[in-house]
Amino acid sequence: MNRAITRVFLVGVALFVALLANLSWIMVARAGWYRERPENRRAIAQELKIPRGRLLGFDGSVIAGRERRSGFYRRTYPQGPLAPQFIGYDSVQYGRSGVEAALNDVLTGQSGSAGAQGLLDRLLGRRPEGADVRLTLVPAVQKAAQQALAGRKGAVVVLDPRTGALIAAASAPGYDPARLEDAWPRLSRDPAAPLLDRCTQGLYVPGSAFKVVTAAAALESGKVTPQTRFVDTGTYVVFGGKVTNYGGAVYGPHDFTTALTLSVNTTFARVGDTLGRRRLVEAMRRFGFYEVPPLPLPAGEVMASGRYRDGRLLSPDAYFDRLAVAWLACGQERLLATPLQMALVAAAVANDGRVMRPYFVQEVRTPAGKVTQTARPAAWRRAMSPATAQTLNVMMQRVVNAGTGTAAALQGVPVAGKTGTAERGDGTNLAWFIAFAPADDPRVALAVVLEDTMATGGEVAAPVAAAVMREALRQPALP
Amino acid sequence: MAVSRRGLELAFLVLAGAVSTMAYVSVYAGRFREIDRRSILYGLVFVAIFLALHLLVRRRLPQADPTVLPLVALLCAIGLTEIFRIRPALALLQGQWLIVGAALFALTVLVVRDHARLDRYRYLIGVTGLLLLLAPMVFGTTVNGARLWLRVAGMSIQPAEFAKLALVVFLAGYLDDRKVLLSVPTRHVLMVPVPAGRYFAPVAAMAALALAMLVLMRDFGTALLFMAIFVALLYMATNRLAYVLAGGGLFVAVAAAAVRLVPHVHERFAIWLDPWSRADTSGYQLLQSLFTIADGGLAGAGFGRGFLLYSARRPVVPDLQTDFIFAAVANEAGLLGAAGLLLLYLLLVWRGFSIALQAPDGFSKLLAAGLSAALGLQAFIIVGGVTRLIPLTGITLPFVSYGGSSITANFVLVALLLMVSHRTAVLREGDAAARLRLAGEG
Repeated sequence: MNRAITRVFLVGVALFVALLANLSWIMVARAGWYRERPENRRAIAQELKIPRGRLLGFDGSVIAGRERRSGFYRRTYPQGPLAPQFIGYDSVQYGRSGVEAALNDVLTGQSGSAGAQGLLDRLLGRRPEGADVRLTLVPAVQKAAQQALAGRKGAVVVLDPRTGALIAAASAPGYDPARLEDAWPRLSRDPAAPLLDRCTQGLYVPGSAFKVVTAAAALESGKVTPQTRFVDTGTYVVFGGKVTNYGGAVYGPHDFTTALTLSVNTTFARVGDTLGRRRLVEAMRRFGFYEVPPLPLPAGEVMASGRYRDGRLLSPDAYFDRLAVAWLACGQERLLATPLQMALVAAAVANDGRVMRPYFVQEVRTPAGKVTQTARPAAWRRAMSPATAQTLNVMMQRVVNAGTGTAAALQGVPVAGKTGTAERGDGTNLAWFIAFAPADDPRVALAVVLEDTMATGGEVAAPVAAAVMREALRQPALP
Repeated sequence: MAVSRRGLELAFLVLAGAVSTMAYVSVYAGRFREIDRRSILYGLVFVAIFLALHLLVRRRLPQADPTVLPLVALLCAIGLTEIFRIRPALALLQGQWLIVGAALFALTVLVVRDHARLDRYRYLIGVTGLLLLLAPMVFGTTVNGARLWLRVAGMSIQPAEFAKLALVVFLAGYLDDRKVLLSVPTRHVLMVPVPAGRYFAPVAAMAALALAMLVLMRDFGTALLFMAIFVALLYMATNRLAYVLAGGGLFVAVAAAAVRLVPHVHERFAIWLDPWSRADTSGYQLLQSLFTIADGGLAGAGFGRGFLLYSARRPVVPDLQTDFIFAAVANEAGLLGAAGLLLLYLLLVWRGFSIALQAPDGFSKLLAAGLSAALGLQAFIIVGGVTRLIPLTGITLPFVSYGGSSITANFVLVALLLMVSHRTAVLREGDAAARLRLAGEG
C-alpha cells in the first residue's frame, strides 16, 4: 500500500511542478506580452487612479481640471469646451490624443519619478501625483476664435510670432469633451469630422494666401522689388496652358506691391515662372513646408504642408512643369497647407524673417509647487532676410489698408495680412486670411480658414481675423 | 519526545505568527498609511485562535505532527490578509468563520477522539455525504451557472466541501475492507492483470455520480475533484493501475459528453481554449485573472500595494476574494510569493502523506492519504484554473479563499489528519499506558 501512496504523492508533486512552471511562464517569461495585450487595460485604469495634473490656460485658469469619482479621476472642463481637439482626451475606451497624450507622462507624474526619488516613493508606497501644466493657450483669445467660428467649418491658429507660442487653436465644428465617451459613435461617423483638429491636421489649398511665400522668394532673389512694373492682360500663357485672375478680372499696368494688394494671379504666375521650380520650392522649405512643424503633439497629429498627390506628400525634389510652377506661385496645383503652417508664414514675416519653433507648454509645476520646466523659445528656421521681411511687412499692410483685406483693419493698430480664396470644384470656396498685428511691433500672427463658403477670404475670413486679433491685443500679457 | 514535538509546533506557530503580522501590517500601512489599535486586535484574535488550538493539541494529541498546524496558520493568515486587503468587512466575517472552524476542529478532536471509531459509522457517513452532495442539485441555488449552493437561514452553504470529507472517510473504510478482493486479478488484458468485471462496479458507480454532478450541478471542478479522490484511493488500496486507467478513461468520456451536452460546461471549456475572442464577455474573468497575475512580476508590489481594486466594491477580477484569491496573492507577492504559497500546500500535502505512510493500519493510511490528496487536488484545480493550465472552475483555495464552508470543512480535515498522526506515534513509540488508554477508548 505504501508504494502506491508514494506514487500518488509523486504524481501530486508533478502537478505542483506543472503549476509552478506555468506560473513562471506567465509571470516572468510572458509578463510583458500580457501587459501589451490590447484587452489588458490595467495600465490605463491604474493611471486613472493617479490624480492627473490639470491643464491651465496662460492666465492660470483651469481648462481641464479633475474630480475624483469612486476612486478614479476624471476630467472636468470648467470653462466648457475649450480647444477640445487640441487638448484631446484621455479615455480607457478610446485611448488618448492631443495634449493629453503628448504630456501623459508629466500629467501622471511618471516623468519625474525615475531614479532614486522614484524608487524611494515606491518603497514608501507613495502614489505618484500628476504635475499641473500651464499652457500658452490664452482662454480669452481661444473663446473669441471659437465664437468667430461658431456655426461654420474651419480653423483659427494664433501664434506669438516673437516666441512661437501657440495662443489659440480653434477648430470647428467642435464637441463637448465632457461627453466624449457617450457621443463617440456619433462624432466618429460625422462627415463634418468634429474630432479632427483642423489646425494641425486639416490640409487645405492655401490659394492666394500663399503669395506671401512667392513674394518672399521673389524679393530675396533680387529680381523683383515692390516697385517692379507688370502689365496684366487677364491671362498668363505658359507651357501650353494659362493662368487667369480670380473672377476673370484684368488689372492692366501695376507694380509688385499692387499685385500683392489686389492678389493678381497673372503677375504671381509670371514671377513664379521667372523664379523657377527649384527656387520656389527652396523658399517654401525655408518657411517649413515639406516638414512636420515641431509642435510637440503625438506623431501623426501634425501634418506637413507641401505638394500632395493621392493623399501623400510629394518629395520637394519631384519634377513639375512650368505651368504647374506658375499655378504653385498662386498657391494652387496640388499644394496643401495646414492652418498652423500658414500661421507660421505670417509669423515669419512678422518676426523679421525668423520662424520660431512652435510650442504650447508655458510651465510645468509639480504638486509640491516646484516649477520643473519653463518654455524656452527657440528659432526654428530663417525664412528670409530681415530686410525682405520688412519690405513684405509694408506690402502686406497695404493689403489691409487698400486691398482685398480691408475687413481686417483695426482701429489705431496697423495690421498686415493677405487674403486667399481657393475655388473648389463644387462651387464653394475656401476662404483664407493670414495676418499679424501690430504691424510695427507684431505680437500676434494668425491664420484663418473657412470651408464651404460662397464668399472670398477678404469678405469672411478677414473679419474673423480682426475679431480674434482685437481680443488678443486686449490681453494684458501674451506668451 | 512529546514536549519537543509540541515545543516545535509552538516555535513554528510563533514564526508563522510573525510572518503573518508582517504581511498584515504591510497591507494596513499600504491602505491607511497608519497602524491603529484595531489592526493589532485583529492580529491578537488570530494568534489566540491558533494558541487555543495548540493547547488543545498539546492536551489531546500530544504526539501529532508538529508542522501541520503552523502551515495551516500561515495559509489562513495569507488568506485573511488578502481578504482584508480586498474588502475589509469580509475579513471580519472570515475571522468569525475561522473561530467556527477552530471550534469544529476542537469538536472533532474531543468527540471523535479516535478516528478509528469513524469506521464504525462508515455507511451512515457515506450516505450523509451523498445526500450533502445531492442536496444542492435538488434544492440549490445557481451561482455563476453552477448549482453548488444551499441557502439555509440566510447563509450560503457549499455542502460539497463537507461531502468531500464524508466521501474520503467512507471510501477509506470501504476500500480497506475490500482491497484484497478488488486487487485479485482474474484475467489479463494486454498482459496487464485485470480484476474481474464486477469489481469495476464501484468505478462505474462513481463515474455515474460524476456525470450526475456535471449535468445537475454543472460543475466541472467538483466532479473532477471527487473522481480524482476516488481513483487515487482505489489505486492506493489495491495497487492496481487498471482502476486508474479505467477511472481516468471513464471520466474523460463523461467530461467529453458533458462538454457537448451541458451548455455551461461547454462554455467553460471554450473559454479555456480561447478566452481572447470572449475578452469582454465570458472570457473577461479569466483574462483579468491572467493580467493581474502577470502584473505581479518576480517580487510583486508588496501586500496592500498591488492594483487590485477599481473601487471599494469592485475588484479587478470578479470574485477576487473567493475563487480568484490566488491571482491577488500572485499580484502582490509576485512569483516568489505565489511559488511560496504553492510550496506551503506541497509541504502540507507532504506531511499528510508522511502520516499516511507511517500509519499502522490500512484505514488510517487511506484516510490520511485521501484527505491529503483531497486538499492538494483542490488547490491544484483552482490554481490551475485561474492560471489557465486547466479549464477554470469555481472552487475555493483551501484556508485562503473567503468562504465559511471551505474553511470549516478543511479545519475538520486537519483535525482528522492530526488524529491519525497522534495515534500512529503512540502505537509506534508511545508508552504502554497510552497504548492501553487508546485501546480502552477504541
